[in-house]
Amino acid sequence: MAQTDEEARMSTIALDRLPPEVASHPPLVTTLDERRGTAGMWLFILTEAALFILLFFSYFYLAQGGWRWLGEEPPKLRLAIPMLVVLWISSAVLHWGERQVKAARYSRARTGLGLTILLGVIFLVMQAFEYMDHLKTLTPRTNVYGSIFYTITTFHAAHLILGLLMLCYALALPQYEPVNHPPHRPYHNTALYWHFVDFVWFWIIIFLYIGPNIR
Amino acid sequence: MAVEERLTQLWETPHTLYGWFSTVDHKQIGKRYLVTAMAFLIVGGLEALVMRLQLARANATLLTPEAYNQIFTMHAVTMIFWYASPILSGFAVYFVPLLIGARDMAFPRLNAFTYWSYLFSGLLLYGSALIGQSPHGGWFAYVPFTDSTYSPGLGMDFYALSLLFLTISTEGGAINFIVTIFRLRAPGMTISKMPLFLYSTLTISCAIVLALPSLTVGCVFLEVQRQWGFHFFDVAHGGAPLLWQQLFWIFGHPWVYVIFLPATGMVSMLLPVFSRRPIVGYPYVALSTVLTGLVGFGVWVHHMFAVGMSQMGMSFFSAASMTISIFSAVQVFAWLATVWTGRVVPTASFKFAMGFIALLVIGGLNGIVTAVIPVDWQVHDTYFVVSHLHYVLVGANVFPVIAGFYYWLPKITGRLMDERLGTWSFWVSFIGMNLTFFPMHVLGIEGMTRRIYTFSSGLGWDSMNELATIGAFVLAFGILLSVINFFSSLTGGRVAGKNPWNADTLEWSTESPPAVYGSVHIPTVVSRHPLWDNYEEEKDPNDARVLDQSRLTLSSTPLDAKPAALAYMPADSLWPFLFNLGMTLFFVALIIKWLWLALAGVIAMLVFNAVWLWPRPMKRPA
Repeated sequence: MAQTDEEARMSTIALDRLPPEVASHPPLVTTLDERRGTAGMWLFILTEAALFILLFFSYFYLAQGGWRWLGEEPPKLRLAIPMLVVLWISSAVLHWGERQVKAARYSRARTGLGLTILLGVIFLVMQAFEYMDHLKTLTPRTNVYGSIFYTITTFHAAHLILGLLMLCYALALPQYEPVNHPPHRPYHNTALYWHFVDFVWFWIIIFLYIGPNIR
Repeated sequence: MAVEERLTQLWETPHTLYGWFSTVDHKQIGKRYLVTAMAFLIVGGLEALVMRLQLARANATLLTPEAYNQIFTMHAVTMIFWYASPILSGFAVYFVPLLIGARDMAFPRLNAFTYWSYLFSGLLLYGSALIGQSPHGGWFAYVPFTDSTYSPGLGMDFYALSLLFLTISTEGGAINFIVTIFRLRAPGMTISKMPLFLYSTLTISCAIVLALPSLTVGCVFLEVQRQWGFHFFDVAHGGAPLLWQQLFWIFGHPWVYVIFLPATGMVSMLLPVFSRRPIVGYPYVALSTVLTGLVGFGVWVHHMFAVGMSQMGMSFFSAASMTISIFSAVQVFAWLATVWTGRVVPTASFKFAMGFIALLVIGGLNGIVTAVIPVDWQVHDTYFVVSHLHYVLVGANVFPVIAGFYYWLPKITGRLMDERLGTWSFWVSFIGMNLTFFPMHVLGIEGMTRRIYTFSSGLGWDSMNELATIGAFVLAFGILLSVINFFSSLTGGRVAGKNPWNADTLEWSTESPPAVYGSVHIPTVVSRHPLWDNYEEEKDPNDARVLDQSRLTLSSTPLDAKPAALAYMPADSLWPFLFNLGMTLFFVALIIKWLWLALAGVIAMLVFNAVWLWPRPMKRPA
């Protein structure tokens, strides 16, 4: 395209006052960016949250809007509630660990991670017992209730396993403040995900376990 | 050592086989996205031509019914999932960092990862054609037709699993765009000074994050029902077939805007340049982009008016659907006002953009018609709907994309495409487009249902179908002209120079093609039109923004874009590619139900991911 000088001038917009922070060329920032990974983790959590919201939507859609499933025995709370407590404790321990990182007490922080992993494994073992008991009366192939019940709880378990692997990874990281990685971030990002997975179990307890037991 | 040399050393990918598989350069990856998506467009287009040949006359026997079903399904799935969205991702991957003056995307290795998973998921989908069992249930794959009783074989498993594979890619890309746009903008590029393409990319990325999980859930339900005996959609065991429709369209309608809005963003970038003035009503265009994305979440039921729902519910969704047209109209009038009050330079790119507006208005008007429930009941599942969706998808995706190619390819290749051939290409495709799809309005009103593999003569459909087939070939020829134009421009095109269109945004301040590091100094911005104002973006007397200590770019605050920190960019890595090999193994194993192989795929992914993320020393210039 032939561009005449006149046209080029036509499209120049004169600026009288420049915003001071731009015009004065700020002294170069020297801190390393530590927010991108955390922002990415928040967005990942957001999309995972949408996933679970849609699973719960499907649950209520298939239950035809009610809390109870007609002709179905509600799930027992004997193990499910203690499982919630285990996860709550794990989140508290992990949060304590994160505060240790920030205070540069790294061996305590590692202990916190290790304890969280242990509690996560305990949760999975309890869920295995819960499944073994539950599967006697209901399997995913029994009917649609079994399908959605086991799909949601297995989705949660898969996310929990992913969270556990992330925790193990954070535990294996050489140090919490490597030169290239800003302090605390792997620990913090992993912790965000773990708290999210715990939070989902809370809603599973409300919707899938307590809801059908209310008369 | 000169600054440019140091930067090149830091950012260049070695030209070796290793470099080819391990590059994280957004320009390389963007080009791959564009080429791959165009390849899928051509494959999908050839499928469309075969369909049109079958429908050219009554009782044709070119295709068997099953072959026809597979071809129309593959055509739709290819176009909607593997062409329309990835082509826009291609533009965004290439140009978003340049538009915001950053050296790369926020997560360069994730960027490489999303490209490979996009490619491999597409190959997985077309793997179904090798064994002759392609999906055949239409792109929205309604149950119960698609469950194992009525669709035995592996076709629908390929559909569900390759889509699950693709959603991983798309999610990763969306997260990458959001963080890039919010964290890496040049200092001074406040949220109110962003180029409009960034608004549309941001909007659709948020829509993807929130809506795509619905497709994930639906495909998981479908797959476990087909292969593992679950009962989500099985009425005999308490399931609900409508759940699939709900889940599919909760995802599906926001997706329509995902493949539409970035195209409008591209037009909002290039129309003002060819009208030699800033766009009219920038804030209204930006706002209506965001609102389209937002309200797009509240209209999904308009795909399901015919299933029988409460009057109140349907009225709500009908009203919401019509609301969308207000936002689209705001954009259309802003473009028209820009052209009207500007001094038009009628390039081929401009013509394609104007053609897009014309087609969008037709597609928008027949869209409003179908949002009216009684009319929808009349034309539901007829060629009227086929016409509507092609006016919107071809008109509002393919046309702006070609406009975008004429506008931006000179930046990518360094060569201008031929204007005369481009004008021919525009008129031939525009006429072909209308010849193909306008008669379908009539066919739909006359009752020709979509997805039939043939029809009897004497129904009054013959001549219109013949016309549509001729039109399809004309349209294909028109697009072929542009493809030829592209290839001949690579060697014979005029050299573009930095800014052949005298455009206003930052990507035009770099060389064509841009240097591996983008611009030498990270620019600062003071207006919406950095290259049209009298402020020098790269003025940096102390070289404070060269950032050649390592692979660095500048990170800024999300809204007012004040410099916040230095962002370290990871170097080239082979692991995203290897990770995808593991993931491909996983999905292939699921299709053939070799669970141990699937487990091997998972373990491979975990190991590769661990190595990928392991901390490494920072890259320094030699």
